[in-house]
Amino acid sequence: MSVRSIFFRYADLVLLAVLLALVPVIAADSPYYLRIATLAVVYMALTVAFNLIFGHTKQLFLCLGALAGVAAYVAAVLTQELQLSPWITVPIGVFAATGLGALFSYVSVLRGLGVIFLGIVTLAFSLIFQNLVLGLRQFTNGETGLVTRGLGFGLLDHSVSAYYLFVAVLMLALLVYCVVMGSRMGFAFRALSDDELTAELSGIDVTGRKVNAAVLGSAIIGLTGTLYGFYNGIISPSLFSFVNVDIPVLISLLLGGVRTRLGPIVGAAAFAVIEEFVRPFGQLNVLVDGVLLIVLFVAFREGLVVMFRKALGIAIP
Amino acid sequence: MIIQVEGIYASYGPALVLRDVSLAVSAGEAVAVIGPNGAGKTTLLRTMIGMIRPTQGRICYDGRVCTGLRAFETARLGMVYVPAEKELFPEMTVRENLELGAYRNVGDTSERLGYAFALFPRLAERRQQVAGTLSGGEQQMLAIGRALMGRPKVLLLDEPSTGLAPKMVAELYRQLAKLKADGLTMIVTEQQVPLALSLTDRAYVLEQGAIRLSGKSLDLVGNPEIKAAYLGVT
Amino acid sequence: MTATLLDGIVQGLQFSLLAVGITLIYGLGGVLNLAHGQFAVFSGVAAKLLLGWGAQSVLAGIGGIIAAGLLGLLMDRSLLVPAYRYRGEERLLLGLILTLGLSFVIDGYLNYAFSEFSLTLSLPIASMQIAGIAMRTAGLVTSLIAVVVFLALFAFLRWTLLGKTIRSIIENEIGAELCGINPASTRTIIVVLATMMAGLAGIAQGLFSSLGTEMGPEFTILGLLVAVVGGVRSINGTLVAGIFLGIINAFASRYVGAYVAFIILLSVAMATILLRPNGLLARFT
Repeated sequence: MSVRSIFFRYADLVLLAVLLALVPVIAADSPYYLRIATLAVVYMALTVAFNLIFGHTKQLFLCLGALAGVAAYVAAVLTQELQLSPWITVPIGVFAATGLGALFSYVSVLRGLGVIFLGIVTLAFSLIFQNLVLGLRQFTNGETGLVTRGLGFGLLDHSVSAYYLFVAVLMLALLVYCVVMGSRMGFAFRALSDDELTAELSGIDVTGRKVNAAVLGSAIIGLTGTLYGFYNGIISPSLFSFVNVDIPVLISLLLGGVRTRLGPIVGAAAFAVIEEFVRPFGQLNVLVDGVLLIVLFVAFREGLVVMFRKALGIAIP
Repeated sequence: MIIQVEGIYASYGPALVLRDVSLAVSAGEAVAVIGPNGAGKTTLLRTMIGMIRPTQGRICYDGRVCTGLRAFETARLGMVYVPAEKELFPEMTVRENLELGAYRNVGDTSERLGYAFALFPRLAERRQQVAGTLSGGEQQMLAIGRALMGRPKVLLLDEPSTGLAPKMVAELYRQLAKLKADGLTMIVTEQQVPLALSLTDRAYVLEQGAIRLSGKSLDLVGNPEIKAAYLGVT
Repeated sequence: MTATLLDGIVQGLQFSLLAVGITLIYGLGGVLNLAHGQFAVFSGVAAKLLLGWGAQSVLAGIGGIIAAGLLGLLMDRSLLVPAYRYRGEERLLLGLILTLGLSFVIDGYLNYAFSEFSLTLSLPIASMQIAGIAMRTAGLVTSLIAVVVFLALFAFLRWTLLGKTIRSIIENEIGAELCGINPASTRTIIVVLATMMAGLAGIAQGLFSSLGTEMGPEFTILGLLVAVVGGVRSINGTLVAGIFLGIINAFASRYVGAYVAFIILLSVAMATILLRPNGLLARFT
């Protein structure tokens, strides 16, 4: 493959990386906006993962927050209690999240769980996670929160370097996504999201592929979760709740456009902007959120990326 | 002319399935639409009742234009479709399935039930049986019985012989002949040519979405063009 | 032991009442109503307002339920219209998002406008003796209401024409259309019925302990759990699942702490779904 064709294939990612890299420069005087940008990047990565798990293989995991939280708590607690370096505990956290994701995926395919049923099972797990963390307060400090400042990589303690670290994680996630979607696995995903039975009959290992997607997605979630936990300085169950993680990610993916490469990015960015817009409404922000959600979904049924494609006539990936 | 289909074009997504199809049926006639698999017979019937919207052309039923009406609206007007998949209510009894067929005019139900059971004694025997447990032939009879419950003016039957044992097919067509004798207007699609031609007055041959041939059923028996249509010879 | 069991059944009937609305809307409309809990809260707020305006308590309760039904009518005829244009999974997802948005709207508004709200209805007699066990009258009354509602629902679906029409649409929407049935108008009736059930569950909660505006999400999740464990399209299943989970909850709460009890409830729900992936009573409606 020539350099030129590689460039065109990934031109959008290069452009994205450049744009994201410029943000701290533009937001130099505002730590507040830098933090918002960092959070947006975190959610972008989570949404890319969800695109793999749900967008491409129809596995409605409503436990993204819990997976990220498991990874974060495992890493944080191990670092704190056993004095281990984050270089060891972060992979362990990632491993925990990945294991859980793989388990849910495998069991659900084995038992033939429909979309709603898997959704409820994973939702139940989200709630179990919440209560587990609250109940095991001797380890986790419950709702008060576990302080993680200084436990993670040094980079995470400074806002600018932390931002770039998360951008790197996002680019890694996108790279994984691109490589997967361009490979035979990606072809299998397209087939099985269209018609699982036909895919199976065509010789595609549907079970294996779905678990693959879940593993990759959960790994990204685990990595993002552990780093986010350290970055935030303090972790608590509400940080990883269904309302704070799963709902924004679901909205971001559907808003941006499922099964598109840039959908998660556009969607999460749009969501972050909307949240900032809604902030001045104070107590009524939930109501405004609801109205916007409804209006946006009726207007942009196929997602923003598809809308931009049609409006601009460019094949945005 | 109780039914007039004029210049219908219909598509499934990007694929054009029906091309400039026109046909006409008089009250009391039994008309066959025959053709090989994929010719568009099912699409034609579905377009007529409104499950599919034609991209061009129009459908007139009983003196009014009915293109664009929904399936339940054409059913209420008396043009009832019996799909090849039957679309029964699997967990409801035979009797309940039939009762729902009379939805359009509920007052008539007990009389119509009597009629349906007289026509299909097997259904009478199994009136409390759950529809999903019936045999293929019995399900077909139930589907037709249900369609008859609403006193339809026109019955559209999509490949009624599908999946039935030959003995069952013969019995079914005996009942259809009885219905025809009672004056019911029918359009029957079939892959099996002799069966359809034996029941009907006229027939249309559909091939790859277009009418290739039409005429009196008696005249079409043994017509070599039909064989050519089925074998894909132009 | 028996006291806990009875407690569980009482609680369980509450759960079933809450969940049956979700089952109905999903079975008939193919939409999972994520705003269900908010309908329960909405009816409670309406009832309290009516009480404030001098209405007698039973009438206020009925008024609240009707209010929930009206809101449901509004939802079906406006908000859900875009979702009804699609079928199957697309309808499910769009409906999910639209009802989620609605839940935010109702939740946000009620929590803002009625932040100090709570609805508590009390009965003249606080407790009665049944077979030697002291039981709260409130629990008996709400159980009775739930039982009557379910019996009425069963009778309605089994024997009336409208009930059979509804069952026919749940079993085969295409087949129903071919019989001349208009699924959309029947669907509206069911949505109104279902949201009124949610309203009833809300009033019952006010009777049983107290209803607060923040309880919406909790109700929705509970309703979803019970509905899905019961098989999400099966009304019998919803009843059985509710009672089952109610009993589990009662025993768990009695013997362990609050967090663990909830975890046990959730785990049992998960396990049940995994063991019976199509719902507790898979083949029956």
